[in-house]
Amino acid sequence: MADSTLLSLVLYLPVAGMFAVAAVPAGREGAVRALTLGAMLLQFALSLVLYAHFDPAVPGLQAATHAPWIPAWGVTYSIGLDGYNILLVLLTTFLGPLVTAGAFSAITKDVKLFYAMVFLIQFAMLGTFVAQDLFLFYLFWETMLIPMFLMIGIWGGERRIYATIKFFLYTAFGSILMLAAVIYLVYSLWATTGITSFAFADLYKARLPLEAQQWLLAAFALSFAIKVPMVPFHTWLPDAHVEAPTAGSVILAGVLLKMGTYGFLKLGFPLFPDATRLAVPLLSTLAVVSIVYGACLALVQEDIKKIIAYSSISHLGYVMLGLVSLDLLGIQGAIVQMVSHGLVAAGLFLMVGMIYERCHTRELAAYGGLAKLLPVYSVFFLILTLASVGLPTTSGFTGEFLVLMGAFAAGWRDSAGGSSYALWVAAAAVSGVVLGALYMLRFAQRFLFGAERVPHGPVGDLNLREGAILAAIVAAVFWLGLFPDSAMKRTELAAREYQELVSAPRQPVTKLTGTLPAPEAAR
Amino acid sequence: MNTAAALTAMAPEHLLLAGIVVLILLEIFAERSHAALPMAVAFVATAAGAAAWLGFTGWTGAPFPGQFVLTPPAAFAKAILLALAVPVLLFSKEDFGEGPFYPLFLASLYGVCLLASAESFLTLFLGIEIMSIPVYVLVLLGYRRPEAAEAALKYLVLSGTASASFLMGASLMYGSTGSLGLASFATALSSPDLLARTAVVMVVSAFFLKAAIVPFHGWAPDAYEAASVPSTAYMAVLVKAGVLVAAARVFGTAPVGESLVGLLVILPLVSIVWGNLTAMRQPGLRRMIAYSSIAHAGYLFFAFVGDGPTRFQAVVFYLAAYGVMNVLAFAALPANADDRERDRLENLKGLFHTHPFAALLIGMAMLSLAGIPPFPGFIAKFLIFKNVIAAGYTAWAVLGLVGSYLGIYFYLRVIQFMFMSPAAASSGHAPSRGIAMGASLLCLAGSIAIAFLPAFFLTRL
Repeated sequence: MADSTLLSLVLYLPVAGMFAVAAVPAGREGAVRALTLGAMLLQFALSLVLYAHFDPAVPGLQAATHAPWIPAWGVTYSIGLDGYNILLVLLTTFLGPLVTAGAFSAITKDVKLFYAMVFLIQFAMLGTFVAQDLFLFYLFWETMLIPMFLMIGIWGGERRIYATIKFFLYTAFGSILMLAAVIYLVYSLWATTGITSFAFADLYKARLPLEAQQWLLAAFALSFAIKVPMVPFHTWLPDAHVEAPTAGSVILAGVLLKMGTYGFLKLGFPLFPDATRLAVPLLSTLAVVSIVYGACLALVQEDIKKIIAYSSISHLGYVMLGLVSLDLLGIQGAIVQMVSHGLVAAGLFLMVGMIYERCHTRELAAYGGLAKLLPVYSVFFLILTLASVGLPTTSGFTGEFLVLMGAFAAGWRDSAGGSSYALWVAAAAVSGVVLGALYMLRFAQRFLFGAERVPHGPVGDLNLREGAILAAIVAAVFWLGLFPDSAMKRTELAAREYQELVSAPRQPVTKLTGTLPAPEAAR
Repeated sequence: MNTAAALTAMAPEHLLLAGIVVLILLEIFAERSHAALPMAVAFVATAAGAAAWLGFTGWTGAPFPGQFVLTPPAAFAKAILLALAVPVLLFSKEDFGEGPFYPLFLASLYGVCLLASAESFLTLFLGIEIMSIPVYVLVLLGYRRPEAAEAALKYLVLSGTASASFLMGASLMYGSTGSLGLASFATALSSPDLLARTAVVMVVSAFFLKAAIVPFHGWAPDAYEAASVPSTAYMAVLVKAGVLVAAARVFGTAPVGESLVGLLVILPLVSIVWGNLTAMRQPGLRRMIAYSSIAHAGYLFFAFVGDGPTRFQAVVFYLAAYGVMNVLAFAALPANADDRERDRLENLKGLFHTHPFAALLIGMAMLSLAGIPPFPGFIAKFLIFKNVIAAGYTAWAVLGLVGSYLGIYFYLRVIQFMFMSPAAASSGHAPSRGIAMGASLLCLAGSIAIAFLPAFFLTRL
């Protein structure tokens, strides 16, 4: 089968799954669960084939499909894999079966609708990653909100309505301004080059004056920064995470937040390079503030879900720092960090969900000494904690280390140019590593060790299903930590392309007025 | 005048006229028959088919020169509007049963069709009146609430004011340019003459009043709430469409430049913001839809900004997307013996658990009206704001988009009620009705076509 067909199959399998689930007669919940898990596993297997077929030496799109859609507007249906999205596609399809299996015991209400929504969100997320046309990207980007809105609102906790509406309104506000920017961008592309197109490849050619670039970057960046989320646009995240069902939290932390950083990587920065380079001090400051502030907030939380929610803010700050370092290692580190955080945060949220199902509380103070009571659980928990802290051999180390190398490289580069600000930023980012160790180890210490305490005990250790889910995640964490080469190889060309796109000036070439002074006269 | 041309070009109108005659005869001679609904549906559907056929064959001509002109885009506009009327007819059965509803409905549709082809202020005025007069009766007909009379009167008086303003504007236009042709409006738009400017303002405010733009919107919430559900759907979708199509005919392809943008955009912008903010606090579905349609009228007037070649396309496409979703919401609304109970938003609580399919359809309609992708409402809104930005009015477009953001909340609230709340104790929803379900499926098919094949419609409009 051709790779392009395979990619379409991976993308549309969830749609088929959604209708299949809807067609299952009421009351057959076991069938719904089995069907969903089967489809998700098949999807992951197919995307593994795509990953294996992906040729790291070929620049540009692979397994692509292009078809005209709305010719009058220059909108094409265009999807494909490249170094930017290959890892994220794999991450999404990897988490799909785990989310599904993780929800088997937790979701007992409206089961059909729930799995239909899991399928829909899977479809929208994959679509956002593989879309190569801005209109299509925006469609998928926005579609993602609907299943997430329902997921938090229907299966969430106590304050779920408040949390889900806050989530929707926050993200929709960013999107509405981005929509205006998208239209303006396409219009200016047409005005300057005569091409009417939404294709990413064409949009990279737009030459915009600096002022326009700054406005457009602001609009795109607001939308993406809300999604990441970067401080100060992060306030929706703790509410959404805490109120969401486990599956919702896993999808949010695992994939959805990466939409924001992916948006910066693929669109925000390369489309408006001149404005980006000017904004680097601001963006790197915000990234470091996110790292440190997120970590500080995580340090003082008493709700175990909130600790992980705030740690997400901190970890995604590294991704942003890597992206704005404009250093090859930093950029590749950012991509690895995206995947790593996707795995680790998803795993931790799944573990929180597992303990919550047993004990019905997320109060950290209510727990203690789980290492003795639930040994298997504790082993997995400790591994994921250490991965989150960034211990060598885990994926967290690869990501954070590369990002910090990139940040320092950028710092030396700038200080050679006479500005030491970037160096200070990089130094401040290192403190995030220490803080990260502090809050995660404090969490693990109070959770796993000390006096043995579980609410509503006694509780049983992990069952086979739960163990298998966590084993898969831990295996992936070590794979990325020990053998990052396979993943790094596939992203290298994209990282280079991104670096070139953002580094080269792209303002309109204005006609020179007057004549250049002759060398002699200048002297 | 060529008789064959007149017969062909006006085939949709003639079919509607035949339908009116047949339905009146049926009403007189066969009072207890059940043929009225199928008959009406058949005539409207055939008329829509005829209009689409005229469009596909590319029939162009003016059987009554200077009065009535048919171009393929106008034919497609008629086809779309008539097609939207079919589901409205289908779910009108339980509110109106047999009776004078059908001939009145077809008569009003005749006016809508006339508007899409009008070439002079006279034809246009005829169209507006033919469209509006039956609606005054429809508000009252089959009423379930005593306020219906008051609402109908309010609508009648304010609509009459709009007609007077329109006529005054047309006569001033005639005084200033010496012509009643619609082309004279374009002349008046660019004329520095005070008389012509006054005429423009009067005509535009007549459209604002008819389309319920703030501050001329007072009649809409009352009329929408007091009328029965099919009448409300008809007013919110087809009457609004008729008015906007008429406005698009009047403006034609005349450029709306700097000096006029303020006139055309400020009040619609206020409508968007006010309509969306007020809709948040409405306890009843129809009142909420009324305020939402006030906001949507605002978006529609944004389509008038700019040079104009894409104006008609944008207006009709938006009307199609907005109309199909509005009709869908009304068609999927579960029946209830008590009209007030049926209308209460609180009663939608837990609808997903009692009527899952209806809840999904209403949810889809709400998201589409809110302009959330991938539903057709998004593509329509995109088209309008794309044109505004292409015309160079980015700031207005951003304001309009932010205004539309304000509308998201109250649509989400409906979804929240249906999916996230436990069922209301006294919802008393009747089981879903086959024929209304058919109407919603028709709308669903239409909206899927608009969402996934927008190019099909755009190239033909």
